[in-house]
Amino acid sequence: MAEVLYIVLALLAGLAAGFAAGRSRPRAAEAPPAEAPDAFRRGVGEFAGAVAPVWSAQIESSRTQMESGIGAITQQFGQIVDNLDSLLSSSQTALGQAAGGTGSFDRGRERLGNVVDTLDNALKAKRQAVRDLAGLAGFNDKLKQMTAEVAQIAAQTNLLALNASIEAARVGAAGAGFGVVALEVRQLADRSMETSVQMAEKVANIGTAIESMLATAEGDAEREGVAVARANGDVQEVVDDLQGVVTRSQESSQRIERAAVGIRAAISDALVNLQFQDRVGQVLQHLQDNIGRLPGHVAEAPPTGPRARPLLDELEHAYTMQAERHAHRAGAVTEVPRSEITFF
Amino acid sequence: MSKTVLVVDDSASVRQVVTIALKGAGYEVIDAVDGQDALRKLDGRRVHLVISDVNMPNMDGITLVGEIRKQPAYRFTPIIMLTTESQEEKKRQAQTAGAKAWVTKPFQPAQMLAAVSKLIAP
Repeated sequence: MAEVLYIVLALLAGLAAGFAAGRSRPRAAEAPPAEAPDAFRRGVGEFAGAVAPVWSAQIESSRTQMESGIGAITQQFGQIVDNLDSLLSSSQTALGQAAGGTGSFDRGRERLGNVVDTLDNALKAKRQAVRDLAGLAGFNDKLKQMTAEVAQIAAQTNLLALNASIEAARVGAAGAGFGVVALEVRQLADRSMETSVQMAEKVANIGTAIESMLATAEGDAEREGVAVARANGDVQEVVDDLQGVVTRSQESSQRIERAAVGIRAAISDALVNLQFQDRVGQVLQHLQDNIGRLPGHVAEAPPTGPRARPLLDELEHAYTMQAERHAHRAGAVTEVPRSEITFF
Repeated sequence: MSKTVLVVDDSASVRQVVTIALKGAGYEVIDAVDGQDALRKLDGRRVHLVISDVNMPNMDGITLVGEIRKQPAYRFTPIIMLTTESQEEKKRQAQTAGAKAWVTKPFQPAQMLAAVSKLIAP
């Protein structure tokens, strides 16, 4: 690159100096110059014929190297931009999915909350069952009491039947029928007593079973209550942790996206600056063409020697950029103009 | 289906910059190194817009515009001239030949994309 710029500057400086010298002596140029000796003219012709192709070849070599080098750099920038676009695209997709994921988390939290609510309701139903069981235990106590009352009635009946038997025996034959009835009543009272004893046993067994069930159910309900509360806390904690991971991932993706956009903008600026190759390439091409004309120009020169003006006019005619014209006329570098768009 | 843009420039880096600017916006881009190459690339293909340099070897951009306009399939295809050329006379010649816009180098990729989008959607 330095080689190219050196050649460009050297040529521009040489041309500008020559042109300035030509302009600074307009009257002398108009005066009829003395004819150059043939040997000197031949020497100048040979000189031009020898140096022009070398200069031209060097310019072409530099121009080609610059073009291929800048072309490769531009292509690499293109690949970087493609990769960035791909990165941005996948990042935006991920962000979109993460945004959808936030909704999923909310839905998941709601559904898990429903599950916990269902468990809680089941627990409440179980507690109600325990209360009902406790109510049954109360009924059992009443049954015990009633059984005791039945036993007491049987005992009183037995006693009453015994007294009736005694009275019947005391009456004699007239009381024989009554004695039989009293005996039957006693037997019924005895059976009532036996039944009440059996009932008391059964009621006691039922009471024991109910108490056992109640103790088990109360223990289960308490443990399940603790488990449901823990499950609810765990679910919330897990969902919060996952949501935190997703949020951090989203923030990271956003930072990457911002960085990628910044890099893309920087590359865009670099691509503008790399277009110097096209401008410099054209300047070099114009100079190369002009140098190529030099030997012929010298060969066709009048006896007074080659004149710079026609060659410089040809060079100026070839210019396409304002910067070239300015450098040619003023011998100074001008700023590259900003791009303009004209719609017809 | 994305629109196809033909970029014609003898500078590989300029072709690359235009390609980067347009491909990112969803355009399909093909390129040619001069006017003659461009006519070959247009033959038998559907191209929706042409971006051409003015000063090129073999066939310059303004001649290319005239040749494109001779083809019935491309009579109304938008053509943008992308050039370092600053002469108003050249600009008028391009307009007369049938170009739709004149963009001077160096250009911002976003600027080029805006110009293309104004003439055809991706």
